[in-house]
Amino acid sequence: MNIEFRKVEGSSLAYISLVVILAIVTISGFYAYYLEFVHGGLSGLSNRVPWGIVNAGIPYFIGLSAGSLIVSALAGVFKIERYKVFSRMAAYLAAAWIIAAILSIALDIGKLYHFMNAVRYFNPTSIFSWNAFLYSSYFVICAIYLLVQFEEMERATRFMACLAVFWAVLVHSGTGAIYSFVYSKELYHSALTPPMFIVCAITSGLGLLLATLYFTFKYTKRELDPDLVRGLALIFAGLCMILGYMLAVEGLEKGYIPALHEAIQFIFLNPRDSIFWSFWLLVIFGIVIPVLIVLIPRTGRDIRLVSLAGILHAAMVFAERFYLIVPGQVYPEEYLAGYELESLHTLEGYIVSYTPTAIEWAQVIGLFAMVYLIYVIGVKLFALVPEKAVGEVKS
Amino acid sequence: MITRRKFLMLAGSAALATFLPTQISALTQSSGSSSGDSKYRWAMVVDVSKCTECMEELIKKTGNPEVKPPCVLACDYENNVPEFEDKRVDPQWIRIVKMRLKKPSVNPKEFYMPILCNHCEHPPCVQVCLTFASFKRSDGIVMIDTHRCIGCRYCMIACPYGARSFNYEYPEHGLKKVNPEVPMRTKGVVEKCTFCAHRIDEAIIKGEEPVPACVEACKTLGKGALTFGNIKDPESEVSRLLRSNFAVQLRANLGTDPHVFYIHLGGE
Repeated sequence: MNIEFRKVEGSSLAYISLVVILAIVTISGFYAYYLEFVHGGLSGLSNRVPWGIVNAGIPYFIGLSAGSLIVSALAGVFKIERYKVFSRMAAYLAAAWIIAAILSIALDIGKLYHFMNAVRYFNPTSIFSWNAFLYSSYFVICAIYLLVQFEEMERATRFMACLAVFWAVLVHSGTGAIYSFVYSKELYHSALTPPMFIVCAITSGLGLLLATLYFTFKYTKRELDPDLVRGLALIFAGLCMILGYMLAVEGLEKGYIPALHEAIQFIFLNPRDSIFWSFWLLVIFGIVIPVLIVLIPRTGRDIRLVSLAGILHAAMVFAERFYLIVPGQVYPEEYLAGYELESLHTLEGYIVSYTPTAIEWAQVIGLFAMVYLIYVIGVKLFALVPEKAVGEVKS
Repeated sequence: MITRRKFLMLAGSAALATFLPTQISALTQSSGSSSGDSKYRWAMVVDVSKCTECMEELIKKTGNPEVKPPCVLACDYENNVPEFEDKRVDPQWIRIVKMRLKKPSVNPKEFYMPILCNHCEHPPCVQVCLTFASFKRSDGIVMIDTHRCIGCRYCMIACPYGARSFNYEYPEHGLKKVNPEVPMRTKGVVEKCTFCAHRIDEAIIKGEEPVPACVEACKTLGKGALTFGNIKDPESEVSRLLRSNFAVQLRANLGTDPHVFYIHLGGE
């Protein structure tokens, strides 16, 4: 294998300004958390909707990580030599995303000082507890996988690639199960969620990777083979369609239950609530348009448009996380079958809408920027990006 | 320039540093057992028709459809449950709900009943808690060790009865008076009804019948709609009521086996 990986010079004004901008956005995110921590009450959360977009950041970032890692390890597991060109940067991004995911948990929990209790105590019946173990071990696996690639240890790389894919599937199914095993909320409970998480992870991870590939190669003036991108884009589009199929099956199954008719109408047909928008924006801008961009030959061969499709999809997968987490909390549950309930002293029995505040958005966007800050610094410090990525590379 | 070795060392020490601030918590370590070896299993029986009668009178008298009855006020005071303007973040351990049949043309009557932590036999909150901060005592009471709680709110999502509140604020900011008998919670953790575990423990030591604050207030100032006791004792009042009535548990289909039972639902 003679792919030349080379560090990025990173001395241009454009590079330095990119680092500065990303650093400012990252710091603003942590500052937003600090404000919330000191003053409190700056989020849109309530006792009826205690999980919002900072929580949604957890499965979102883990998804991007798992997706990135699975794509990275494709070369190793299935011996697809030509995908080896980006296996380093994808693995590096995977490690950066998992840091964002763990920080997302840290920003989301109420008692940061008690954070290590999640690692010190292990409750075998708690899926989140299993995940605390899975996330930390996953980061270690990512790091070792990256190291054996740096050392160019062929057999170890292959072994670590297989382990990484297995672990990524485990980690992300586990994350899906945190939500979907909650049996007290009918809108949460679904066996489809963990597999859907895996599909969604690969699509969003791949989508963002396509865009990252395009921009990295463009701005470092390196050669990127359109055929290589084409192959990945087709996998991306195919999996996007599978995601759409799974969403349809799940929605229709829930809609079939008479007890859920009102809730389903509220979710899918009520444009006055952000839940409606999260779902339909996902379908239109996250699935239909990206798939069309990739499948129509004229647009599908244009790397710029393909990266746009990737970015659109990855952004809308955040809406998917919103659609997954929020409706089940917003729409009230029936405590006594057949009876309408209205609480006199709390908001139980009422639809309690959730609108994320700027403080919450700043935290999610800050973590996102942090990952790219880690990436941009990474390509300067480590040999992550190949000299050129062209299809005819032979082993 | 960072070498690989330096990078590894940095990563390793960062990982080590995160393990340092450890938490010690006596509460969970001493009473973490949930085996059914206790001779007590606490439960509550709610007489819905008596509760409805009390609430109807109270609403008529005060003209306030959201009036807090004696049971709720007693709980608020006893357990330092704060009062915040914003209902979205205001914690409430026991609250009254209005129930109406979904076919108002058949029966438009509204019934009132209290909702509180059901102290389930198979509590979903304990099942999902990462750190065993939520735990079930051997006498069936589900408690939260706030020293262990990381405030992830997974238990709030898992609880089928909306029994849990998150402290978005420091509780003392919403309190006029503080009851020193009950530990004060902090911001950033979850809290809920404890069946007045502190009263129960004290009564057991003294050899008395334990009475939670809400039950006491309901007996003395309300209509006596609430009954509390040990269902492992066949002679207790709760056991007798459950034997002689058609009792309903909320969301019993989930298999959580709640220990707050509702009787006289029809208002007979």
